[in-house]
Amino acid sequence: MDNFQKKFIEEATDLINDLEQALLSLEKQPKDTEIVASVFRIMHSLKGGGGMFGFDEISNFTHNLETIYDEIRNGNLLVTEELLSITFSSVDHLRNLLDPEALKNEQISKNHNILLSKVEGILKKHDKKIIETQIPETEKEESVQTFYIYFGPNESIMDNGTNPLYLLDELNTIGNCNVYTRTQKIPLLSKFNFSKCYTSWEVFLVTKEPVASIQDVFIFVEDESELEISNIANFDILSESEILDKIEDLFDEKSHFDLSILSPFINNYEKEKKNKIDTVTEKLSTFTKENVISSIRVSSDKIDELMNLVSELVTSQASLSLFVEENKVQELNQLAENIENITRQLRDTAFNISLIPIETMLTRFHRLIRDLSTEFGKNIDFITEGAETELDKTLIQGLTDPLMHIIRNSVDHGIESEKERVKLGKTLKGMIYLKAYYSGANVVIKIQDDGKGIDLAKVRQKAISKELIQHDSKLTERELLDIIFLPGFSTAENVTDVSGRGVGMDVVKRKIEEIRGTVELDSKTNVGTTITIKLPLTLSIIDGLLVMIGNTKYVMPLNLVNKIYAVNHQDFKKAYNNIIIIDGEQIPFYYLRDEFEIDTEPLEVEQMVIVKYEDKKIGLAVDDVIGEYQAVLKPLGKLYKNHEIISGATILGDGTIALVLDTNKIIHEFSFKN
Amino acid sequence: MAKTILIVDDSESIREVVSFTLENAGYNIIVAIDGQDAIKHFDGQIIDLLLTDLHMPNMNGIELIREVRKINDYTRIPILFLTTESQRDKKMEAKDAGATGWIIKPFVPAKLLAAINKVMR
Repeated sequence: MDNFQKKFIEEATDLINDLEQALLSLEKQPKDTEIVASVFRIMHSLKGGGGMFGFDEISNFTHNLETIYDEIRNGNLLVTEELLSITFSSVDHLRNLLDPEALKNEQISKNHNILLSKVEGILKKHDKKIIETQIPETEKEESVQTFYIYFGPNESIMDNGTNPLYLLDELNTIGNCNVYTRTQKIPLLSKFNFSKCYTSWEVFLVTKEPVASIQDVFIFVEDESELEISNIANFDILSESEILDKIEDLFDEKSHFDLSILSPFINNYEKEKKNKIDTVTEKLSTFTKENVISSIRVSSDKIDELMNLVSELVTSQASLSLFVEENKVQELNQLAENIENITRQLRDTAFNISLIPIETMLTRFHRLIRDLSTEFGKNIDFITEGAETELDKTLIQGLTDPLMHIIRNSVDHGIESEKERVKLGKTLKGMIYLKAYYSGANVVIKIQDDGKGIDLAKVRQKAISKELIQHDSKLTERELLDIIFLPGFSTAENVTDVSGRGVGMDVVKRKIEEIRGTVELDSKTNVGTTITIKLPLTLSIIDGLLVMIGNTKYVMPLNLVNKIYAVNHQDFKKAYNNIIIIDGEQIPFYYLRDEFEIDTEPLEVEQMVIVKYEDKKIGLAVDDVIGEYQAVLKPLGKLYKNHEIISGATILGDGTIALVLDTNKIIHEFSFKN
Repeated sequence: MAKTILIVDDSESIREVVSFTLENAGYNIIVAIDGQDAIKHFDGQIIDLLLTDLHMPNMNGIELIREVRKINDYTRIPILFLTTESQRDKKMEAKDAGATGWIIKPFVPAKLLAAINKVMR
């Protein structure tokens, strides 16, 4: 702390003590103007000194108090008990503020704010425009402007100790000046009074400073002088000889410059310049727009809590809708519908909040590939696309490990050594390409390498030796590739440090399925391997179609539902090879009542829900369709986690439970079985 | 020859910091603690600039300015007073009393010197 500050603290301590004394006297004689004046003076000194020596808090804090006592001093406000007690607390607080670190203390800082608002409260009650906020200094404008200034001082200006020439000198320091002196008012020597100022000046000033800087020059004299400052051009006219000539032409011994002639002349120039400036400002404004990101950080716990509450709300809303429907309460109908809409919007918004761009995990992969490349002596480019694609944060957490594993595999097994690549006529540098994009309610992540691909013969051999397939099984390429995802399969000849961690592709598949995703593998010898992962956007709530089979309700994901048809039970029975013709289209179907082994009496007319499966349409026959339903997905628990065709359960409005069907899995499973 | 400035303020710390700044800028400095103390210095010695606070006990700044303007030899010396942003009416009063200009507290040394430069070379 420098000596001045120490000195100020000593002095301020004395002042605060004096203030306390004065306040005590004021309490006894609240109408004594002398005491009020001294209270005011002390506050004034505290404020001024505080600002001077870096005790800004003291200065700010005293500001409004000082105003109050100034108003009392001027007879506009009365000393009240409330005011005195606030002022006494303020005295104590001011003592604290002498420690520059004081506001770091929570208690003091809290007290600080309370007192400030109390003081402000008094002022507000008193009203008027007393509460002043500091006007921020206007930023300097960057562009050059030309100002015309007329300065006609009062004849007696020098009586106050002002020397007008100093002001003109000062103008010269803020820009380039052309000064024209008007001397026509100077009288004959016999009438000349040496203490009077007879001269006036006209100045063309070129500067980058704002007009406020020019006004500042004349701040002491503006009240007793004729002063005119006007912007006549947004460029430097003093460097344009044509304009200078024009000014010389216009100069008249007897009168001021006529701006009404000069301005239009300058305007022509200005237009040209302005066009250029406009494009620049346009660029600037788009530039700033791009850079404004309004976002806040929120702890993920809070988001989880929000999601939970939204889930609860969705369930409660379902109960409400059900109640309204069952009891046919006309008045509630509209309300229940509104709440349903709002809940849906709220749900979507809440989900959007918990989405984060996958970019967050890509950084780790960049690092991983860099490190692995060095380790294996391979030269690999990692290219990403769609880094801005957003996913639920829990999905991203669940996805990181499997993706890392896939990338490790690509570096270790996929991309060849430089030597091999040269032999194959490939580029020296290997490439791993990660692309993420939206596809309906899903996010697709593709990881592609340009390595040697998967050796299917090797896969076959391995599968036979591991007794995963029969010696003479005839398998398609697709089926062979799927074997890689079976537990206990690994083709690496040597278990390396990187991919051989006891984690095979089976674990990758399981982990992705845990987050309701699917994984697919494609490979071409010497061209490369592509792994495609498909994920739902979110985990916990889905828009569903509520259906009935037997006595149980089920939910199907609505986004997969294409059409619903009513079909006679007999038509299902008559259908050959599980194919039914609807609207002239052959549609394969599964009769879920049979598949689920439900043996109650079927209805005469049943419903067929057509769902999308890959690029095909498949029918799923159910007893009845109840309607749309927002399902809050709850896990089934440990014991049932292997039931792949059921992705969870949801609680219905009436408290019963419906199972959520994974239609993709159902079709996949049943098509294998048949 | 160095110019002489009379600084009047009841706050010792302000007096010190202002003196320090102006001495470093090459001025001669005289100090006084209030108007009554200051008026004594206007006894014929050369004072090139008066720099005074407004709120002081005994004789305040405005009274001081008025008195100084009445004393021969000092009727036209530049006078600056120290004030705060909120004291708009004070500014007018001080100017009417004969002040040349003002300096708004709080200020940094550069502002102080700039204000002085406006009224004295």
